[in-house]
Amino acid sequence: MKLYCLSGHPTLPCNVLKFKSTTIMLDCGLDTTSVLNFLPLPLVHSPRLSKLPGWVSKDGTINLEKELKECAGRVFVDAQPEFCLPERELLDLSTIDVILISNYHCMMALPYITEHTGFTGTVYATEPTLQIGRLLMEELVNFMERVPKAQSATSWKNKEIQRMLPGPLKDAVDVWMWKRCYSMQEVNSALSKVQLVGYSQKVELFGAVQVSPLSSGYSLGSSNWIIQSHHEKVSYVSGSSLLTTHPQPMDQSSLKNSDVLILTGLTQMPTANPDGMLGEFCSNLAMTIRAGGNVLVPCYSSGVIYDLLECLYQFIESANLGTTPFYFISPIANSSLEFSQIFAEWLCHNKQTKVYLPEPPFPHAELIQTNKLKHYPSIHGDFSSEFRQPCVVFTGHPSLRFGDVVHFMELWGKSSLNTIIFTEPDFSYLDALAPYQPLAMKCVYCPIDTRLNFHQVSKLLKEVQPLHVVCPEQYTQPPLTQSHRSDLMLELQPPPMPYRRCSVLNLPFRRRYERIYILPELANSLVPSEIKPGVSVATVSALLHSKDNKHTLQSVPKPPPMPPSKKRKRVIEEPPVALAPKPMLSGAVALEAFLATLQKHGITEVKVEETADGHILHLQAEDTLIQLEEDGTHIVCDSEPLRTTLRDLVLRFLQKL
Amino acid sequence: MDRECVSLLPRVCEVLAASGSSLPDDTILEKLLDWFTALTEAGESLLEACPCLLEFISAVIHDTASAPGVLSFTLRHFIEPLLQLQTDTSLFVASAANQMLSHVLLFCQPVSSIGCNGTNKKEDEQNTSVSKAVVENPAEPMEINQDCTAVVDAISEYLKRALGVPKGSAQLHQCQQTLRLLALLLGQTKPPLHDKLLQTVTASLEEMVAADCSELTLPLMDVILAACSRVPDQRITRLLTFMLNVRKPADLVHAAAAFLRGGHHDRVHTAQSVRLLLLPLDIISGQNRLGTNTAGDMHRFAMTEQLKSKTSCISMTSVCLTNIPQIAHMDPDCLPCAPDLIVSGILSLLRICSGDSSSSAAGCSEVFRNVIGSGKVQKCALEALTAVSNSPGANGKLTDVLTLLIQYLDDPDSDPTVLHKSYQALVKWMSVCTDVSFITDQLRHDLVQVVKKRACDMRWEVRDSTMEFLGHLGAMRVCRAPAEQACDASEALLGGCCCTTPLLREALQDPESYVRASAIKALAQTVMHSWQEGAAPTQEQTEIVTRLLEILSQDTEGFARRAVVKFFIAWFSSHTSHTPPSSPASPSCSLLMQSVRSVLSRGCADLDWEVKVHTLELAELLLDKAFLGHGSYTKGSDARPAQPHAYAVMPDRAYTLHTHGDTRAQDAESDLVDVLKSLVEQGVISALLSGLVDCDRPVALKACRLLITLRVTVCPASQGDPDVSDATATVARVSCELPRAGWAQEIRKILGVRTEANAERDLNALNATSFEDHSEEGASAVSHCERVSVCEALGSLGLDDRLEILSRSSDHVHNSPLSLLQDILTASTSHTHSNTQPGQEVIVDCY
Repeated sequence: MKLYCLSGHPTLPCNVLKFKSTTIMLDCGLDTTSVLNFLPLPLVHSPRLSKLPGWVSKDGTINLEKELKECAGRVFVDAQPEFCLPERELLDLSTIDVILISNYHCMMALPYITEHTGFTGTVYATEPTLQIGRLLMEELVNFMERVPKAQSATSWKNKEIQRMLPGPLKDAVDVWMWKRCYSMQEVNSALSKVQLVGYSQKVELFGAVQVSPLSSGYSLGSSNWIIQSHHEKVSYVSGSSLLTTHPQPMDQSSLKNSDVLILTGLTQMPTANPDGMLGEFCSNLAMTIRAGGNVLVPCYSSGVIYDLLECLYQFIESANLGTTPFYFISPIANSSLEFSQIFAEWLCHNKQTKVYLPEPPFPHAELIQTNKLKHYPSIHGDFSSEFRQPCVVFTGHPSLRFGDVVHFMELWGKSSLNTIIFTEPDFSYLDALAPYQPLAMKCVYCPIDTRLNFHQVSKLLKEVQPLHVVCPEQYTQPPLTQSHRSDLMLELQPPPMPYRRCSVLNLPFRRRYERIYILPELANSLVPSEIKPGVSVATVSALLHSKDNKHTLQSVPKPPPMPPSKKRKRVIEEPPVALAPKPMLSGAVALEAFLATLQKHGITEVKVEETADGHILHLQAEDTLIQLEEDGTHIVCDSEPLRTTLRDLVLRFLQKL
Repeated sequence: MDRECVSLLPRVCEVLAASGSSLPDDTILEKLLDWFTALTEAGESLLEACPCLLEFISAVIHDTASAPGVLSFTLRHFIEPLLQLQTDTSLFVASAANQMLSHVLLFCQPVSSIGCNGTNKKEDEQNTSVSKAVVENPAEPMEINQDCTAVVDAISEYLKRALGVPKGSAQLHQCQQTLRLLALLLGQTKPPLHDKLLQTVTASLEEMVAADCSELTLPLMDVILAACSRVPDQRITRLLTFMLNVRKPADLVHAAAAFLRGGHHDRVHTAQSVRLLLLPLDIISGQNRLGTNTAGDMHRFAMTEQLKSKTSCISMTSVCLTNIPQIAHMDPDCLPCAPDLIVSGILSLLRICSGDSSSSAAGCSEVFRNVIGSGKVQKCALEALTAVSNSPGANGKLTDVLTLLIQYLDDPDSDPTVLHKSYQALVKWMSVCTDVSFITDQLRHDLVQVVKKRACDMRWEVRDSTMEFLGHLGAMRVCRAPAEQACDASEALLGGCCCTTPLLREALQDPESYVRASAIKALAQTVMHSWQEGAAPTQEQTEIVTRLLEILSQDTEGFARRAVVKFFIAWFSSHTSHTPPSSPASPSCSLLMQSVRSVLSRGCADLDWEVKVHTLELAELLLDKAFLGHGSYTKGSDARPAQPHAYAVMPDRAYTLHTHGDTRAQDAESDLVDVLKSLVEQGVISALLSGLVDCDRPVALKACRLLITLRVTVCPASQGDPDVSDATATVARVSCELPRAGWAQEIRKILGVRTEANAERDLNALNATSFEDHSEEGASAVSHCERVSVCEALGSLGLDDRLEILSRSSDHVHNSPLSLLQDILTASTSHTHSNTQPGQEVIVDCY
């Protein structure tokens, strides 16, 4: 059993598991942090961004004026932003049988895997994962296509040139792997390969293994996966949460008794408690609005935003923010808000019960009804006429490199009354803000990451007790910035197996058993004999039939029937007597008793010699040797009658089957 | 004891003696005993007053057989069962038995200088019954001495037997109980007996101390500390040294804490205990501040190991922190390090608790990870930090402390209690700070930001603490620099009203009433200074006043409304104390007086009795101010001295009694008329009258007292001095309006009734005033018309009678010994009665 690690990003994993003749890809996360090296894509013409000076090396030898621009003291690539893809060279992607998706954040690289690679397999995901994943992909494509940039920048990727560039471009890795965003057509094609599954539904893969998604409590439809054969069980734990937010709670007990547990997607903010961050978010928001400023919340269009809106729903009354408008701007804002309301069966119990009242599960419906929350596909159109300040705007993309957020950064960045509150943990907020500096706007970083923290995961692992744990290497040591915090790492016995990008791990367990079925008629013919209390053994002669990784013992086919005899009425159809196999023997020859028996039969002069495997008996008068070993007995004798006698004596001590 | 009780008591005794275990309500005996105890303490001799008690006692004592639930003891039959009860599984029984034994033993002390003539013993056995034994001092002294020796011997013997290394939980319990008894005995007995006891048990104690049993640490410490409280005994001192040296780390810490609590002055052991208690702090923060000390180093290793376990780490650290206040104020010679190092230690610990990376680098990671994020440790440490604010050398740490506290206030993960304690610590540190000049602008800025943020917190507890904090700062005076004048702390730290007032005003809209109340209180503390000047009221001032009056009339919660009235009390009293009475009314004064009128009228109509009482307090202040200097006015309506309001700066006013000469009488009278008129106008009189007929006793009482004071001041005539009545004729013409409905109906009714009752005198007085003046006002006062003469009303309301009724506690009828005795008798009757009617349960409530 092997694990190929195509991504080193702990929360955007992409691993391939080879298990019992199947090749299973676990998630295909897309690392979008690479976009931070690119200039923002403004929706409205920005004089500032359009007049940036090009970059020329100090000595003038390298001139990349067209590709690289200097902005706020840093150098950015002036081209359509590119993403860092999972490794595509480590193994042939066309050999992948299935892809298991755990949540919509971990499927964004899907088109890069399934398209133009020869992939012919199936993708398994839950319905909310597929639908919201589709929305997020659509949004991404939309963000890119709204601000087309024909130019692509490749010269800077030249190793010799990249070496000369200022940081952080100089330190960017695998830049040749970076790719532009996929098209809508590719998205549709990739998503057409998805087959929907429900929690705990068992999917057979070629009869060899069974895969089954379990609720992971992180987002709508998010799952962990169980991959098991009859005798082996591998658990794949991706983004999971034990907090009471909107999704169905995490199913922990089904993870028990795993041989291997692949652990990814822990919180990226182990020291930031989500509750505290939510409080921080609310108080900073209220503080800004009271002072007459606007609040900008760069966020993904699905996920934590539902919880933020719910929290604000309760908070705006107590903070006297009743009249402040809340805007949610995204090409998929409407669909996201509505989809969340229809996936009732994927929600936590509280929200599910609301559906039967009937009430919408999420209170954002009421915010929309009362006109407190308004959503728009973009800043163009209706929004510009209805826009009223001070207000709170939720919009993407959290990287601040594309999407409507770019416009608000340009619009509000200059006033110290305004505040930008980062809630998504995926991007370093300082890097995200880099092209907008100097910035007067107040910045608040309250990343809300509801995924498991180290304390929770150690408790979980103590409970489910996997034999082996495999995890990204980042989890096996304290964070770089807090090297003394030994509580911020996994401490397990045996220690977890770390992986990094491009690792190939031999998973540390050997398959020892295989299940074989036996047909009833064949089973009926068996004659078991008890070899020790509770254990019976029978010999079987049968035909082993293997198909689709299923093994079945069938009766040996009968020879063709005898030609009918002439005297029909007397014929008794007797089955042909198969050659009776020699009985099998079991047991051991007890030396003392055997010697006594020999003596009874007149053999008295016996010299016993002890060997490594047993004993050699030298019958001196008969000039005969008997070798008694654990798995065999040899009688070396010239006289056949004597040999037969001796053989029968030995057989008395053994059991026949 | 009054006669009635004395007459009832014999019958009650009979009932009790007869009823035995079948007492319907077992709390009555307890109450009876409480009452007896109170009587005895008051110096009455129960036995003299009620000889029947003796009979009763002996009856109960000899009646054990008939009452299985009642356990009674006399001096002979009686030690053994008591000693058994001493280890009873019920905590109440055991502790009562312990108390009893110690009483008995004290009673038996050879030097019999004890004044008590009896001991009461109560015990409660699973709610079934109460038994009591009143041990009386019998008559024969010789007999007693013999008995006493026997008792002492019995107890000593028992102690000797019961003490020992426990095996099993039953024995452990017995040991703990016996140690408790021993501690009690050793703490109270005097030398001969004390020494005898000690001699008896020292060997057993040594054995137990050596056994190193964690559960016995504290009881053992108690015994040892009680033992060495008298004359230091070498063996006991050795035991103490042993307890503080050779035990498990957690036990050591507990022993050391117990030692410090004991308040002993043994330097060696104090130093040792302090070192032990500081050790966990030292280990966690990774700073070797305690210097080198062989014994300490010996413990350091063991304690480090122990601290690696999360639960013991948190509990040990908490014990240490709770003892730090005491340590910090000790003689520096006893301390293993300078006091300011203790402050640094607490600071490091707090930094580690919040996950700060820099300060934990030196410590053992397996240890400090246990306290990261622990709310319990944070709370204890903040309390400790608050307590050490005035320890020597602490002032030098102010910047560090401030930085840390601001960091705590900013931390998103701080829970409301931690934030509250951080605020408290900050206030305390600021209050002892003599010079705030070195607080950097950055710190100030950070604090302002964090306070602004917390004022918008999601949790109301946090918003509430923030408001309280603003109030505390506003009320605190600090010096900006050594030479400069003092200013309030919110000015020095937060930049004054421009920062705090908007926050407080915003909080007036808070949905949580506690927050609104705290904000109002804080406003009173912060804005008062700036409102004292006579300048025209600012728009802000007017808006605040409007909002406060709005809260008073509309808020659904009593807290907020009470706070509003208190706000105006504070404003009014600070205003009066800062402006001489003769000065012309300033514009801000008129705003104040206007609002006071609204407060009086709205406050009196409130449904909350506290709001009404506070409103009357405001009325009282107005009276005080109005009659300042008037001879017959005595400040303070109550018998008790007037209490200064929590946040009012009370002027040191002396009310000297002027003797009015004839020449000045006229002036004084016209003054009085004006004053009374203005009081009517301000609504003070209406407030008092409506208060008088209020259904809440405290309100009515207060109003009644004030009205009596007023009557004494303005209407001496009504007290029946005919000579003065002429002089105050004009005063009597001052009238006040009675509205048609509500309280005024009530007043009218009283006036009507009174007039009939005292028809002649009252009518005469009335006629005199009204005819002389040819005015109809006075005459019409008693009839059903709108206005009533104030003086007449004061005279006719029957204030003195009302005061007498109101002064009695509302439950005076029900909660007297007499009623208790009556209840018992009634209960016994109904109990007997209920026996005849099975199934009918009689619930007796003695309250």
